[in-house]
Amino acid sequence: MAAVGVDMERHLIELGESEMAAEDVLTDRQTIVDLDRKRNKTREALRSLQKDKETEKTWLCMGNMFLKLPKPKAKEMLQKDFDQLDEEINKLRKNLKIKVDKLRDIEQEDSLKGFHLQPLSKEELKAIDSVL
Amino acid sequence: MAASAAQKVQEIREVTRIERIGAHSHIRGLGLDDALDARNVSQGMVGQVTARRAAGIILEMIKDGKIAGRACLIAGQPGTGKTAIAMGMAQALGQDTPFTAMAGSEIFSLEMSKTEALTQAFRKSIGVRIKEETEIIEGEVVEIQIDRPAAGTGAKVGKLTLKTTEMETIYDLGQKMIESLTKEKVQAGDIITIDKATGKITRLGRSFTRARDYDAMGPQTKFVQCPEGELQKRKEVVHTVSLHEIDVINSRTQGFLALFSGDTGEIKSEVREQINAKVAEWREEGKAEIVPGVLFIDEVHMLDIECFSYLNRALETDMAPVLIMATNRGITRIRGTNYQSPHGIPIDLLDRLLIIATTPYEEKEVKQILKIRCEEEDVEMSDDALTVLTRIGMETSLRYSIQIITSANLVCRKRKGAEVNVDDIKRVYALFLDESRSTQFLKEYQQEFMFNELGGDKEEMDVS
Repeated sequence: MAAVGVDMERHLIELGESEMAAEDVLTDRQTIVDLDRKRNKTREALRSLQKDKETEKTWLCMGNMFLKLPKPKAKEMLQKDFDQLDEEINKLRKNLKIKVDKLRDIEQEDSLKGFHLQPLSKEELKAIDSVL
Repeated sequence: MAASAAQKVQEIREVTRIERIGAHSHIRGLGLDDALDARNVSQGMVGQVTARRAAGIILEMIKDGKIAGRACLIAGQPGTGKTAIAMGMAQALGQDTPFTAMAGSEIFSLEMSKTEALTQAFRKSIGVRIKEETEIIEGEVVEIQIDRPAAGTGAKVGKLTLKTTEMETIYDLGQKMIESLTKEKVQAGDIITIDKATGKITRLGRSFTRARDYDAMGPQTKFVQCPEGELQKRKEVVHTVSLHEIDVINSRTQGFLALFSGDTGEIKSEVREQINAKVAEWREEGKAEIVPGVLFIDEVHMLDIECFSYLNRALETDMAPVLIMATNRGITRIRGTNYQSPHGIPIDLLDRLLIIATTPYEEKEVKQILKIRCEEEDVEMSDDALTVLTRIGMETSLRYSIQIITSANLVCRKRKGAEVNVDDIKRVYALFLDESRSTQFLKEYQQEFMFNELGGDKEEMDVS
């Protein structure tokens, strides 16, 4: 009877671990989606600022506050945001791989084939493109 | 794009896989359970329990990458399932491990030397796993808006609205993008991907939500789900290509077309050395993994002494695949020499091999195999007929009785019967001679055949 209890406890711990790891992965994925949405909005804003050549100043909505800024300044701020978002997404993606691997490890599945390979460069790919 | 290309490669692989298995098309694997014990009838395999278990152990070692550069020999009488076991191993290895099947006699060609043919077969059996990474924008087209200048000519500008289940955004389009969108005939409701680096647009299909837009549509219209998640994705595709494929595209004289015409000719050893060096470099940089595959040589006694000594050496290189050979010969002459040796293989090579023996099938097993073949060939057969066929199989050979299945089915169809019965089998048995009846016939009527005076030399005939 006691053995059953111990077994149960171990299973519960394992289950908890895998749930936690899975949750971690899901959160990261959702964050990437949210960040990408922001990135696209920023890109749209940048575009429309670029197209509009008449006005000197422009309205910019930050959070829930509207600011009137000179256009070069606004552009600079948006560009900075954009770059930061890009960087953050890349960072998340890199970590996501490690997390997925950990999850698979907890669930006792083999790590995905070729998961940790470095990608070939463009020239190298071009050289063997015809067999792919 | 990359995904569809990858599929294409796999399709091509499929073809090479089924090339030589016509008689073994019912085999899906080795039919082993998790503990590597052979189930008596499973995955198209029947009997041969020990041989299958041995093959299963070798298979596990191959999967673990433990026995690269080793060789094993499947030996047994004709019709005892040697090729079947090899095919089962190929199936069980799965898509990802390269498997090359060839017959010993395939290496004799006027176009290339024997060792070249063997080298190519070796290199076809070694895979290189590489990764391709692309940034793509993937989404459903909500709207395309193209403004044509009033003058008729000049730069067009436009807007493209894309969405996923999570978000929607507008892209401004330039002249180039508009052209490729028009070329791909992209319209609202299509799911497309845009490669960020090259700007190449691929249409994946139409969105499911648009399935009711029209009643009449082309047969190629493919419906796909609206993509999930972010619009700008990073896509990683892992490819496995064989060393031989890389050889061919890099051997300058022929170009990549040679890969498809099938006639690759000889490849210079310098090219191979360069490629080995490049692959080693990739491996060092973490860009590539070597996947040692399996080379299966059927009828290996057809190789001659030069080939055997080449094999001996080739197995020692650091990028050697697992070599599986099959032979139905006993103690016989090694081709190209006057020496006798077991299985027609030189002793020094034989010493390196793990040998798996197959034994003749029992009556029960023969019946089971015939039943499986009937299913495979879509032939309905009555129980009595199957029993008769089994007897024929035991007395003549398994191959003969398998061949009878199809012809008996034709006879049955001709008399418009629903299932093959004993009479059909009898009829076919009378029509087609098996090997022993044919021999008997010849012995009886020897005198009436042409050149019968040569009959006395029969014993000295060269059979190798």
